[in-house]
Amino acid sequence: MFDLIIMLSRFLFAGYIIFFLWQAVVYVAYEQGGYLGNPFTAVSRQKRTLVLLHITAFLILAYIPDTFLFHFDILAVGLAGLLFLLVGMYAVEHFFYEGCPLLWSGMFFLLDVSLIMLQRIQPELAVKQLLWMAIGVGIMLTIPFVLRLVPRFEVFEWVYIILGYGLILSTLLFGKQKFGSVNWLQIGSITFQPSEVVKFLFIFYLASVFRKRIRMKELLITGTLSAGIVLLLVMQKDLGGALIFFMTYMVLLYIATSNEILFLSGMGAASVAAVLAYKLFSHVRVRVSAWKNPWADIDTGGYQIVNSLFAITTWGLLGSGLTKGMPRSIPVVESDFIFAAICEEFGALFGMGVICVFIMIFFRGIRIALDCQRRYYSLIAAGIICMFSFQAFLIIGGVIKLIPLTGVTLPFVSYGGSSVLVSILMLGLVQWICVYCEQHSMQNEEEQHE
Amino acid sequence: MSNMKKSMKRIFWMIALMFFLLMGMMIKLVLFDREEISSSAYNPRLNYIDNSVRRGEIRDINEQVLAQSILNEDGTYTRKYLRSRMAAHITGYSSMSKTGIEASENFELQRAHHEIWQRIKGIVTGEEIQGNHVVLTVDMDVQSVAGNLLGDMKGAIVAIEPSTGRILALQAYPDFDPNKVKDQWERLKEDEDSPLVNRATQGLYPPGSTFKIVTALAGMDYVKNWQDFTYDCTGEATYYNKVIHCYNNKAHGSVDMRQALAVSCNCYFAELSTRIGAINLRKTADALNFNQRYGFSLAYNPSKMVLNENSTESALVETAIGQGQTLVTPLHMAMLAAAVANDGMMMKPYLVDHIEYYNGKISKTTVPEKLRQVMSPEDAQMLKSMMTEVVSSGTGTAAQISGVTVAGKTGTAENATGKDHSWFIGFAPAENPKVAVAVMLENADLGAKATPIAGKVIKSILDKYGN
Repeated sequence: MFDLIIMLSRFLFAGYIIFFLWQAVVYVAYEQGGYLGNPFTAVSRQKRTLVLLHITAFLILAYIPDTFLFHFDILAVGLAGLLFLLVGMYAVEHFFYEGCPLLWSGMFFLLDVSLIMLQRIQPELAVKQLLWMAIGVGIMLTIPFVLRLVPRFEVFEWVYIILGYGLILSTLLFGKQKFGSVNWLQIGSITFQPSEVVKFLFIFYLASVFRKRIRMKELLITGTLSAGIVLLLVMQKDLGGALIFFMTYMVLLYIATSNEILFLSGMGAASVAAVLAYKLFSHVRVRVSAWKNPWADIDTGGYQIVNSLFAITTWGLLGSGLTKGMPRSIPVVESDFIFAAICEEFGALFGMGVICVFIMIFFRGIRIALDCQRRYYSLIAAGIICMFSFQAFLIIGGVIKLIPLTGVTLPFVSYGGSSVLVSILMLGLVQWICVYCEQHSMQNEEEQHE
Repeated sequence: MSNMKKSMKRIFWMIALMFFLLMGMMIKLVLFDREEISSSAYNPRLNYIDNSVRRGEIRDINEQVLAQSILNEDGTYTRKYLRSRMAAHITGYSSMSKTGIEASENFELQRAHHEIWQRIKGIVTGEEIQGNHVVLTVDMDVQSVAGNLLGDMKGAIVAIEPSTGRILALQAYPDFDPNKVKDQWERLKEDEDSPLVNRATQGLYPPGSTFKIVTALAGMDYVKNWQDFTYDCTGEATYYNKVIHCYNNKAHGSVDMRQALAVSCNCYFAELSTRIGAINLRKTADALNFNQRYGFSLAYNPSKMVLNENSTESALVETAIGQGQTLVTPLHMAMLAAAVANDGMMMKPYLVDHIEYYNGKISKTTVPEKLRQVMSPEDAQMLKSMMTEVVSSGTGTAAQISGVTVAGKTGTAENATGKDHSWFIGFAPAENPKVAVAVMLENADLGAKATPIAGKVIKSILDKYGN
């Protein structure tokens, strides 16, 4: 009987995500002048879908087969998660008027999938993750107030880069090794990844510099400082992090200068650096050969990727059904490989839906960056959105063997306190920029009318 | 400002492209690569035991059941192999991880068609939920003939239908009883005769004189006026430090290719190979699927042929007569014979004919697939007539069947493990081939033991399926 329910739930989950994405289409269509339905209804339907998804998943997780009983501790986590969703979704709308509702629902969707998956894979992590999510959303809600107190935060460009360097260097001095990378700091019982915080500072710094007219001198200084951060990350064996910082720099540089030659030569230099890294570091060679042919050394280098492919392909489009797969057979499944676990139990269709949610966040973020009339904020929004997207691409691409694997987290979804906290704050900042620009442009229009 | 927005849009399109690549890769993985990846022996999900579904049966082409699951009192299932050893290397086993068809078709066997309907019905009526049945191309009547002929001789027999690539029989000995793999695991694993290795598909053996078919083909393609080329065989020839002997040092006198193949003259083919050249011989072998994977349901090894531009002449002449470092599987040699029989078109060998659902509905019938044209139809025709002569008047007379023209090639392969291996590959009827076989007997002691066995296998198939 329970088997039958789980079987049917696979269709339900696929239905949820398709309906969720369709409502996003309805909303965007209205904005673009078409009409597929009421946009406000669409957004509230998205929220209700999310709540239903949450309830369905936790009922399945908490049920004890062949009885009429539930695990109460799991139900409690489920209830706490539900509370977080409801309060969170309510609060963000009241703290950020006129933020983009699709970005909010996209974020909460990913957070909830993360919570469900962690509860399934490693329950003790789910509680921790929920706590981090709550803290993240809590801090995020203060963004509008803080930025009202510090209205022109672009003037602190030197503070950002010095702080950034300080944090990264501190890991070299006091760092802890975890998963082969020396990029963790421990304070009391909490370990965190300073490079996550530096992401923020880095974007602030670049946007501050690039908001002005750029001459050769600034170009050289920012170039050198950014290259320094990237190199430090490479030294810590955090290749994924290094790539993300590098791409963010290139993207902002190109946006600010519109200079193709600079962009292409930067990419060329990166290719040379990649070849050098391949020649110099054995762990890079291991990653590349595991990507080219993971079947060749299945017991060592290729183990992770092959197991991830097994998880994704074995059960097909609808997956094994929640609790029915074997996601624990993939190493580090709770963090880097969580996408494979989602594909295994919710199905590849749902996995593609998750990619679509990232695409949705990406396109909505672009719109904010494009519409924003203040150069500094526009650059920040573009930087954050590109960083998110590139990070999602790196890790999903690595997990499905599109590109060599670089260990980075999937924003909002992977387990990791600093990752989830920083992701939430970044999205909050984009939303704040959205609100700011809309109010600002309205003011402009009003002024023009007068 | 507008400049910046323009650049921004360009960057965004680049990122959008990355997302589309992700979606494309996901689709490729799930829709196209799925079967191949998920049925890998390394997938831990192969050993996933789901007792809510009764695993499907494995049957032969006549619907004879080879493997089925029996419900125990405690709600679990026991897998029974009704023909025990007779099809062991095909069905594989399922108790200690999985091999053979049990592995490659695992997800088909474990999948229940109309699962939701079956489950609802199951709740009401208490019926079991039935997984899909896998129906093989193998005919157990032929398989048994081959098995009995092989007896307790180490070796392998493969029979293929040349026009389609269907495997009619695939035997290898030593074998094992799939019902008892779990109990005998330690012994089976450590047995020096490695009974768990499927010699028909995984065994790599020197091909001996059967390889002369490859050399002959290369001669047709790379030696001008090969039809006029004759060689005066004295029973022995020297190439640098390598002395080539004909069998029993017999001098064959002046022979052309047709005669040389019929009497299996080593000296002729050694001399021919010096005119072909190492690179060209390698090209011909590669075209015949040496050194390549071709895709098969059972674990298999590609045949190996290692000549290259640096090869010495002695390596070349050794290779040309089937010694040296060349190693082949019986399956691949059967495919080679089948390609000659099928006018040079090599078909992809296959074992699964179709899938049958719980309600008797048939689905996923395998469509024969061409691997590639491995030789021109003219060359194939020429080889066919030469191979006919091998059986009618040459070394392969023991494979003759009254009323049927059999074509083939014998082989005796020297090897490091002791006595010579005995080979026969061939097909019949030569005019309209219905079956191609390869028979390989390890350390077969004296004479061409494989040849009469091949004749009997062919006869049993032709008797059953007519001419």
